[in-house]
Amino acid sequence: MDSLADRLSRIAALRPVSTISRTATDVADACPDTLIQLLGGELRFTQFGSHVRVRRRFRSPQPEVISPRALRLICYNTSAVSPDLSGWLLLDTETTGLAGGTGTYAFLVGIAWWEQDSFVVEQLFMRNHGEEPSLLLDLESHFARDRVLVTFNGKSFDWPLLQTRFRISRIRIREPIAHIDLLHPARRLWRPQLGSVALTRLERQILKLDRGPDIPSESIPQIYFDFLRGAGPRAIAEVFHHNRMDLCGLGSLLVHLNTILSEPEECGCRGSELFGISRMLQKSGGEERLARRVYEKALESGLPADAERAARRELAFLAKRGCDFERANALWLELSNDSREGFRACEQLAIYYEHKARLPGKALAFSRQALAKLREAFHARRITLKEYQRRYAALQRRLTRLAAKL
Amino acid sequence: MPGTALIEVQQLVGELAPKDQLNEVVTAVHRIPAREAQWEEMPAWIRPELMQAYRAKGIERLYLHQAEAAEAVRAGKDVVIVTPTASGKTLCYNLPVLNAVVENPDTRALYLFPTKALAQDQLLELQDVGQRLGDAFGVFTYDGDTPSDARQAIRQRGHIVLTNPDMLHAGILPHHTKWTRLFENLRYIVIDELHTYRGVFGSHLANVLRRLKRITDFYGCNPQFIFSSATIANPGELAQRLTGSDVTVLEGNGAPSAEKCFVFYNPPVVNRFLGIRRSYINETWRIARKFVKRGFQTIVFANSRLHTEVLLTYLKQDNPPLPGSPEIVKGYRGGYLPLERREIEQGLRNGSIRAVVATNALELGIDIGSLDVAVMAGYPGTIASTWQRAGRAGRRTGASYAVMVASSRPLDQFIVKHPEYFFSESPEHVYIQPDNLEILINHLKCAAFELPLQNGESFGGVDLQIICERLAESGYLHKSGEFWYWTQEAYPADTVSLRSVSSDNFVIIDETVEPEVIGEVDFTSALTTVHPKAIYIHGAQQYHVERLEFEQRKAYVRRVAVDYFTQAIRYTQVKKLEVEEAAAIPGPAIKAYGDVQIRSQVVGFKKIKFYTLENVGSGKLELPENEMHTTACWITLDRELTESLPYSISERQDGLFGLLYALESVASLLLMCDRMDLGATIGERMPDNAEEAELFEPTLYLYDAYPCGIGLSRPLFEMYDLLLARTREMIEGCTCEKGCPSCVGPAGEAGERTKEVALAILAKLSPVGTMSCSQA
Repeated sequence: MDSLADRLSRIAALRPVSTISRTATDVADACPDTLIQLLGGELRFTQFGSHVRVRRRFRSPQPEVISPRALRLICYNTSAVSPDLSGWLLLDTETTGLAGGTGTYAFLVGIAWWEQDSFVVEQLFMRNHGEEPSLLLDLESHFARDRVLVTFNGKSFDWPLLQTRFRISRIRIREPIAHIDLLHPARRLWRPQLGSVALTRLERQILKLDRGPDIPSESIPQIYFDFLRGAGPRAIAEVFHHNRMDLCGLGSLLVHLNTILSEPEECGCRGSELFGISRMLQKSGGEERLARRVYEKALESGLPADAERAARRELAFLAKRGCDFERANALWLELSNDSREGFRACEQLAIYYEHKARLPGKALAFSRQALAKLREAFHARRITLKEYQRRYAALQRRLTRLAAKL
Repeated sequence: MPGTALIEVQQLVGELAPKDQLNEVVTAVHRIPAREAQWEEMPAWIRPELMQAYRAKGIERLYLHQAEAAEAVRAGKDVVIVTPTASGKTLCYNLPVLNAVVENPDTRALYLFPTKALAQDQLLELQDVGQRLGDAFGVFTYDGDTPSDARQAIRQRGHIVLTNPDMLHAGILPHHTKWTRLFENLRYIVIDELHTYRGVFGSHLANVLRRLKRITDFYGCNPQFIFSSATIANPGELAQRLTGSDVTVLEGNGAPSAEKCFVFYNPPVVNRFLGIRRSYINETWRIARKFVKRGFQTIVFANSRLHTEVLLTYLKQDNPPLPGSPEIVKGYRGGYLPLERREIEQGLRNGSIRAVVATNALELGIDIGSLDVAVMAGYPGTIASTWQRAGRAGRRTGASYAVMVASSRPLDQFIVKHPEYFFSESPEHVYIQPDNLEILINHLKCAAFELPLQNGESFGGVDLQIICERLAESGYLHKSGEFWYWTQEAYPADTVSLRSVSSDNFVIIDETVEPEVIGEVDFTSALTTVHPKAIYIHGAQQYHVERLEFEQRKAYVRRVAVDYFTQAIRYTQVKKLEVEEAAAIPGPAIKAYGDVQIRSQVVGFKKIKFYTLENVGSGKLELPENEMHTTACWITLDRELTESLPYSISERQDGLFGLLYALESVASLLLMCDRMDLGATIGERMPDNAEEAELFEPTLYLYDAYPCGIGLSRPLFEMYDLLLARTREMIEGCTCEKGCPSCVGPAGEAGERTKEVALAILAKLSPVGTMSCSQA
């Protein structure tokens, strides 16, 4: 006869996962108090139970304020945001996975802020899942007043994950008045140069910071699972360190962005950074002249081919809007032989000579050139059939019209 | 004019089978008289604006069953509505649900359909009503095709969300916090096409619903279930097993229907010795073209994509499009683009398309209006789905026709030769096994991911405590206080597919000229039919299997003309693990059911010459072994029985295999399961000591072909008498001389006396008088 245990032993769904690791020595020194001692933390009690809190201060003069320009460039909705940093809160979580969904937990939540001449990092940790509600309640208290939240990739990861956690624990959390995710400006500024804009990479290569020995972030969930099953606190202490370094890096990144975005012309940035800044300036609107100057500066500093092409195109567009046709025409001429932008540039020149300069002959010549370039681009599959058809029809109309004018 | 249909059909039958004096070809012409509509007024509690909207669609009154359903839902009952095709089923649930939404705009409803296409169909219907109500409610489909930027809006504003069990399982439940608006206000869960949730799929759905209930409990709401089903034997029981609580069954039908004739057609025998009949595909084509020629709008059902395409080609050649006119013959199956499908559905409704060749994709409730004729190439496998397909033909007025053309599979042959079974028997039971441990534990993991499991919580009929401990030991869960928490990075729903058995097919590629896919075989039969060096027969053409790419699931073949066929030697070992119940039966023999371990491997093959059936060669094969724990029902024949048979040992063996072949066919008929869901093998009783070792006590096993079983063994055990009686009827009723594929297996493969021995064993197992034989 077969017992339930025998039956269970055959179930594929019960087969152990490969990554289980636990050693006897680790278990020996597993004691909750040693963790608190090791970290210099304290046990916090709330109406929902207890959790661990670790607070550290770093000497760091507070940046006075975020300049209005920098704020506008990194934050979409600036109206409610005070540039005074006292209401700003930096946040980073360590989780049991990256998959999201309701079964992923933020077991360590780090927050940081400036206070007089210190940068304060506070870390909230649950020693087991039962401590989650207490941790969340403590975190919630930081959101009791208006907050500007600063994260790195928090818009799509950390904050939705925390919202899920709060919802499951039935704790209401006040939404921050603004959420600034520095991943987005970082991408604009550094992706061409670095490829990937992971925070650790930015620290090393842009901010020139060295965080010292650190654990790879993909090992973090397993470290926590091992801790739950009795492994010692040393590995978890390294996760705390990692999280703290992430917050320091986030703070440094904010300061750095404030510096270069406040005075883009004086920041000593390299071409690709300037190009990124000018695109941000152009997108946020309002400072087109500055955007043009920064584009020009970026072109002077030298750009990779793709960026150079885009910079010329955008700059020409801005020049046209500013009625600086001399500059616009020069840029279009530079682009007129380009395999990707050529047809657009020639079309723009045709428009200029037809309507502004009123030289239909020249306009006709550029229209023809545009048509040839358009065909080329289509055959090289640089544009879709739909776009080709649309532009082709427009150019044909222009040619007919110009022929009539001649 | 009652009887017009009959006259029309008799005329047709005369043309189709002029020499069929014995009714061997046309085995049944069954007339179903017309039915009057039974009307009921719209209930007074329906909101006037909703009544107005339906009136604008031409619906002023309800059929009796629609009114009953609306009242039962209004009364707060969980219901299952059982109706045939095209009887206004969707109104049964849409009316009360929409009324609740109009009364209270916070109300939310979740509709589950087995396919995306059905959800799309409902979307159009509901949007139409919605527009007439001034867009008073939001209705959306939510499935794999939903663009990610639309999802947020659907979660917030969808009053009615139309989805499928797979999406609920992997896309909604694991993210329930994003769906708080829905779950806090969820009042109705509508599950359409209940009868499709059988076997593995149904067992999964039951567990998905267990998870859904945990989530709705968490958000503090207790939704009402509304099921709709085609006619099956146990709709109430099935719904009850899915929800875990009592469900009211509503079986009335007040929709009118016109006179209908149902014809059973068995292609004529061309070789009586081998039991070979004319191709049922060609016969289907002949019949369908006759109807189309006479101006009847016709739907042709085929059981595979390949056959759909073949029939479509034939019918298109018969009906070439006229210059400047649209095509009048179309195909319809999974794999066609949604837009194309919508056009075909539209064409069928407005009559511009005169014939459509479809797979079971059109069996379910897609709205294509009603046609004149349904022709089925092959028995669809179950009584229920045969009626579903037949129901596609059935105007409210005039007459309609259904023709079932039998293939030579045993099931088809049994049905076509026993029309009284089909027309008088209640349709099949649908079996599921929600407590299949493999399935249940996978869903328990998903459940723990969604919300921690609490000590003392119940999830199906298992001891949660023990399983949670095991899951914790394996690293999936961790206990903290009263709760078990998910402790894996991975997302458990990703690794659990709700329809896991049938997807793993091998494709067959003919390389004779240019590589061309000629067909596919399912995983289990691939090893025996397309192993290397096999002769694979497809459409009467022989192919030699050059190589089998096991990992790629591809078999490469080349056309040949040889005078032999191959037969795989499959070695299957069964070990009984646990006997649930056993009983002595006449024979003497023992019947039992319980848990078994099945190990099977194709180890070689034989080459057998046509006609003489000499063994002209063999080969060894090294193919992967398959091991599985499942449930089985078995019959062990006592030595006394086998020794009393006046046949040689090899004749007895042949007879046993022939009997097993027949039992398996009949079992799948009685269980309403796929041929693939059931396996069969013969084993010997394990000797208790060395002295008995030489004694031959064979056991015939019929097992669930899915790990842990999906609930087929116990019903088989319980219907043992019926199983034997039907098997006997089938073998006795077969016109072949010494056995054929339609009864005890191909004559060539078994011995000369297979049929005789099989019947002799059956006579011992069920002496006349001890069983009830329902033969008319």
